[in-house]
Amino acid sequence: MTTRATRSPRRRTVVALAVVLVVLVAFVARLIDIQVVNASQHVEDAFSKGMQKTTTLEGARGAIVDANGNPLATSMLRYNVVIDPHLAEQGMSLRDDTGAIVKDDAGDTVMVTWPEIAAEIAKVTEQSADEVRAIVDDAYAKNSGSRYQVIKRLVSTAEFRELDDLGIPFLSFEPVASRSYPDGAVAGNIIGFVGSDGEPLEGVEKLQDSCLEPTSGSIKYQRGANGVTIPGTAVEKPAVDGGTLKLTIDSDLQWYMQQLIAEETDRYQANWGGILVMEVATGKIRAIAETDSVDPNDPGASKSEDRGSRLLRTSFEPGSTFKPVTAATAIEQAGVTPGTTVTVPDRMVFKNGAVVNDSEKHATQDLTLNGGLVTSSNVAMSQFGAMVDPQTRYDYLKKFGAGEADGLGWSGEPERILRPADTWDNQTKYATTFGQAFTVTAVQVANAYQTFANGGVRMPASLVESCTKADGEVIHPKVAAPERVIKEETAKEVSLMLENVFAQGTLADDVALPGYRMAGKTGTAQISDGRGGYKKNLYFTSLVGFAPAEDPKYVVLTVFDEPKKQRMSSANRSVFKKAMAQVLTHYRIMPSGSETPLLPVTG
Amino acid sequence: MSASALATTATDTASDEVLLGSAAPALRPVGRAGWSVAAQPRRRPRRAFGIIAVAGALAIAGVQMGLSIVTTQDAFEVKNLTAQQRDVNYQKNILEDEVAGLSSPQFLAANAAALGLVAGGEPSYIRLSDGATLGPKTGASEASSIEALSRAAVSNALVAGVPLVTDPEASLDTGVSIDKKLLADTPTPPSITDGLPTPATH
Repeated sequence: MTTRATRSPRRRTVVALAVVLVVLVAFVARLIDIQVVNASQHVEDAFSKGMQKTTTLEGARGAIVDANGNPLATSMLRYNVVIDPHLAEQGMSLRDDTGAIVKDDAGDTVMVTWPEIAAEIAKVTEQSADEVRAIVDDAYAKNSGSRYQVIKRLVSTAEFRELDDLGIPFLSFEPVASRSYPDGAVAGNIIGFVGSDGEPLEGVEKLQDSCLEPTSGSIKYQRGANGVTIPGTAVEKPAVDGGTLKLTIDSDLQWYMQQLIAEETDRYQANWGGILVMEVATGKIRAIAETDSVDPNDPGASKSEDRGSRLLRTSFEPGSTFKPVTAATAIEQAGVTPGTTVTVPDRMVFKNGAVVNDSEKHATQDLTLNGGLVTSSNVAMSQFGAMVDPQTRYDYLKKFGAGEADGLGWSGEPERILRPADTWDNQTKYATTFGQAFTVTAVQVANAYQTFANGGVRMPASLVESCTKADGEVIHPKVAAPERVIKEETAKEVSLMLENVFAQGTLADDVALPGYRMAGKTGTAQISDGRGGYKKNLYFTSLVGFAPAEDPKYVVLTVFDEPKKQRMSSANRSVFKKAMAQVLTHYRIMPSGSETPLLPVTG
Repeated sequence: MSASALATTATDTASDEVLLGSAAPALRPVGRAGWSVAAQPRRRPRRAFGIIAVAGALAIAGVQMGLSIVTTQDAFEVKNLTAQQRDVNYQKNILEDEVAGLSSPQFLAANAAALGLVAGGEPSYIRLSDGATLGPKTGASEASSIEALSRAAVSNALVAGVPLVTDPEASLDTGVSIDKKLLADTPTPPSITDGLPTPATH
């Protein structure tokens, strides 16, 4: 039961509450309007008034290191020196050491003129004063309202600090992420380089960009006087640095090989030369040297054709270095042994009309399979090859990499040719037994010998060890699985014959390293003249081998393009011997302590 | 705050009842007799409570102001430290630039070559079990397997023109060769076919 008297005060309460509620609702509505509906508009307003600032946080591009962790590429900052020509032309007031404006006796401000300032700047940037003055004068002449002109790009931190210390108010500096390559041209052919805008242009810099590339972040904050961040307003999204890319290259070995191949290429007057060192057990490439390698610190100093890797972009007919593949095929598919004999004249006309010549004239002799390799006889290998049908030989060549990709995924990989066996003409049926009519890359030749040295199991060639992301996650690149190409027994027999090539061949004395058993083969491949024939008296020469032969650790391949002092593969002997000696010394591989068992050459 | 406001309203209602009661006592409901008890004298608010409330408010304001001053002060401190860190970073970058390339293999090798060191060729080993020498069994030749200084072929723009530590006259580019005459006078190390040379004194 309520009376009027009791209702009246309650109504007042209700009314008061209602008023409070209405005000509250109005506030909430306005709050939502500010915070949600028109939020972006207000944020923009705040930005335009300079109250809030967003700074992009740049992550650093990842480093590239060699197999031992030595840095081959690191990130750093360089600075573009920027001037305001409009202000520069007006000069600036002279200030004393305390920063106070200097006045002359008449009470006028003493001015420093632009030419004087230009001279100061030029002293630091190592330009001439006139040069600096001209840059700004030109910009000013073109547009007197010009507020932006770059004086010099990519100056060092030291120069930047010196310029900043000059206290010139219209000079500003733009940081530019830049790359430094501490070892210069060492592995420059593989590392590649980045452009002045930081864009990766060549080599693993480009191929492995997804590993090296940083993710930029941002920081948003409100600023008080003097740019002090107002506490509690900063919202940071941190930048993520790029990953560290580890190569399989050993930089010390790589340097030696580059120095060596440069000297030897010069000595034999070849167009260019290369050395490749591959680890037998893993297929990892420890050195890949060639002439001339770019210095990634200064790619502009190299000719454009020297800025990439020739060795990875050249395919060639291997020639005699692929004769052991024929030997392995004959052993597995025709029941041949190293002692099986054929009669070998220096020129042979086969039943289908194909003609095969040996490189040197000799009397007809009975050669074993071992002898065919030791004397590198085309006629002998043609006969052993012909014991197996072309399709089977095609399959073997393919398994050894001919016509296939080398697995490195390099940019600009060359075309590799291996035509189907049913399209082989009469001459091709024999030419394929001594490394002609198909092409391979240097990596594939090394990989074939790695297969012989590794008991018939091919390990995929690789240049990249791993990528370690900023958060510590280690990513290993995907590579093909190891593949058994030939039987272990066959690999042993071929290896033994290759040892005999080094022990009994004409090159024996020139390549021998006392105490070590080595195995290998030379190749003097003809070069296509581009008109369907071969170049006369110019060859692509190679010498590939592994050591120590009884327990192979490393494959070394050396190549020359058109050596002119000695035109055949004999040009490769000294470079091979020095390269192999360095590999054995560098990796502390002990001498063999046994002799090569000699196999009969003639029947 | 709201609790005391409600209490005030209740007291007001009670005093209204008292006034009504005096005007029409016959209508006064029996069941509401208890309400008349409220007609007590108003309790005087204790001064202590007021003091506590005011002091509390002041204290909160004071602490807040203090905290604000401290954080603002820290902001300046942070700014100073950030500036310091930037300067130190600049110094670090400058120093890194200065030493970049000095540890590169071609620079080290050129320095070694300037000292007259040569890169060895075929390695020799002594087998500890029987003292046999494995390898060429002759002394190392004075010829270097590569010419790291006089024919330096692996460039490095970072140390281009930087004088060698061991021969300030030379750099990787100039490739000043070592004094050949000096080398020619150096006797070749003795052969070690008969074991390592031992001094004649006993």
